[in-house]
Amino acid sequence: MAVIVQTKELAQTVIASVVAGVGVTLVFSIAIWGAARFVDLNSSRRPVAAGAAAALGVVALAVTIGSVIVGIVVMTSK
Amino acid sequence: MSSDIVLVIVVGTALAFDFTNGFHDTANVVATTISTRAARPQVAIGVASLLNFLGAFISISVAATVANDVVNADVITPTIVFAGLIGAIAWNLITWWLGLPSSSSHALIGGVVGSAVAAAGLDAVLAEGLVGKVLIPAVVAPLVAFLVAGLSIGLVYRIVGRQRPGPVTRGFRYGQVVSGGLLALAHGTNDAQKTMGVITLALIANGTLGANADPPLWVIVSAATAIALGTYSGGWRIIRTTGTRIIKMDSAQGFSAQGAGAAVILASTHFGFPLSTTHVINGGVMGAGAGKRISAVRWGVAGNIMVAWLLTLPAAAAIGAAAYGISTVTGSGALGPVLVTLMFISILVVAFARRSHEGASVPAG
Repeated sequence: MAVIVQTKELAQTVIASVVAGVGVTLVFSIAIWGAARFVDLNSSRRPVAAGAAAALGVVALAVTIGSVIVGIVVMTSK
Repeated sequence: MSSDIVLVIVVGTALAFDFTNGFHDTANVVATTISTRAARPQVAIGVASLLNFLGAFISISVAATVANDVVNADVITPTIVFAGLIGAIAWNLITWWLGLPSSSSHALIGGVVGSAVAAAGLDAVLAEGLVGKVLIPAVVAPLVAFLVAGLSIGLVYRIVGRQRPGPVTRGFRYGQVVSGGLLALAHGTNDAQKTMGVITLALIANGTLGANADPPLWVIVSAATAIALGTYSGGWRIIRTTGTRIIKMDSAQGFSAQGAGAAVILASTHFGFPLSTTHVINGGVMGAGAGKRISAVRWGVAGNIMVAWLLTLPAAAAIGAAAYGISTVTGSGALGPVLVTLMFISILVVAFARRSHEGASVPAG
C-alpha cells in the first residue's frame, strides 16, 4: 500500500506546499505591514521608528521575491 | 498508413482537448485577480495566456506520468488514445453545458483508462500509477490548498489587521499580480503536460517513439500554444460575465488563495502528479473564504464540486469505452475514428446551433 500511495513524494508535496504557500504570504504580509507603518510613523514625525519599519518592509519584500524565485527553480527542476 | 491517419486524428483531438482545457479553466486562473481589481480583465487574461504558454516548457514530469504510469503502453493503440480523448472532451462539454465544476484532467485520465479497459481488459491499467499518482493526489491536493489558504489568510489578518485598509489593499493588489502570474504559470505547466503525455502515449503506441520516451519539442510547443489560445479565448467570455459569476473577496484573500493554489500545483508538478487544477484553485478560494468567515464559503458549490469529482472519472471512462467500441465497429483501421470524429463534430454543431437559436446563456467554466 505504501508503494501504491507513494507516501514520501506525497508528504514532500504537502510540506513544500505548506512551507511555500504560508511562508511567502507571511513574509509578504510583513512587507506590507512595514510599508503601512512607515507611512503612519512618518506622518506622525517619528523618523527612527519609520525608518525601522521601512527597513523591515524592504527586507521582507526581498525575502518574498527571493523565495518565489528559489521556489520556482526548485519545484520545476529534477 | 491507416495508423498514421489515426495518429493525425489523435494529435488533432488532443490539441482540441488542450484548447478546451484552457477555455474551461480561464475563469479559475483569472477570477480572483479580476474580482479584486488587481488587474484589468484584458491584462489579466493576456498575461495568464502568456504564462500558460511559458509554463508548458518548464517541466515534463507530469507528461511522463500520463504517458508511462497510468496505462500499459505495450497494449495501447492510437485508437484507444483517440477514444479516451473523445470520452474526456465529451464529458468536459457535458459538464460545461450543465454548469458543473468538473476537472478536465480527471476526464482525460478517466477517458483513456475507460477506452484502454474496453480494448484490453483491466490488465491495461497500471493500478499503482493510477492510484498513487492520480487518485490519492486528487483527493489530497485540494485539501492542502484549502488548509494553506486558510492558514495564510489567518496570518495576514493577524499581521496587517490593525493597519489602515488603503495601503494594505494596494499592497496585496500588487502582490496579486505576482501570485496570479504564478498561478497561471502553474496551470500551464500541469495542464499542458497532460496533453503532451497523451500525444506522447499515442506516438509510443504508433511506434513513432520508443518506450518511455520524453515528449518531442513539437509536441511541447503545440500543447503550449493550444492551452494558451484556449485560455485567451475563454477569457473574453469571462469579461462579459465579470461581477455576476466571479467570487467576491478582498485582495488579501485573493493573494492567499492564488499563492496556495500555485504552491500546491507547482509542488505536485515537481513530483509528476497530474492534478485537477480546477479543484486545487477552488480549494484555495474556499480556504481563503473560510479563514475569514466560515459562512462566507458557498458550501453548496463545494458539494457540487465533490459530486462532479466523484462522477468525472467513471463517466469519462464510460464514454471513452463506448467511443472505443464505436471506433472499432468497422475494424482496426482509420474508418472508425474518422466516422466517430465526424459524428462528434455533427453533434456539437447541432447542439450549439440549437443553444444559439434558443438564446440561452452559456454557463462559465
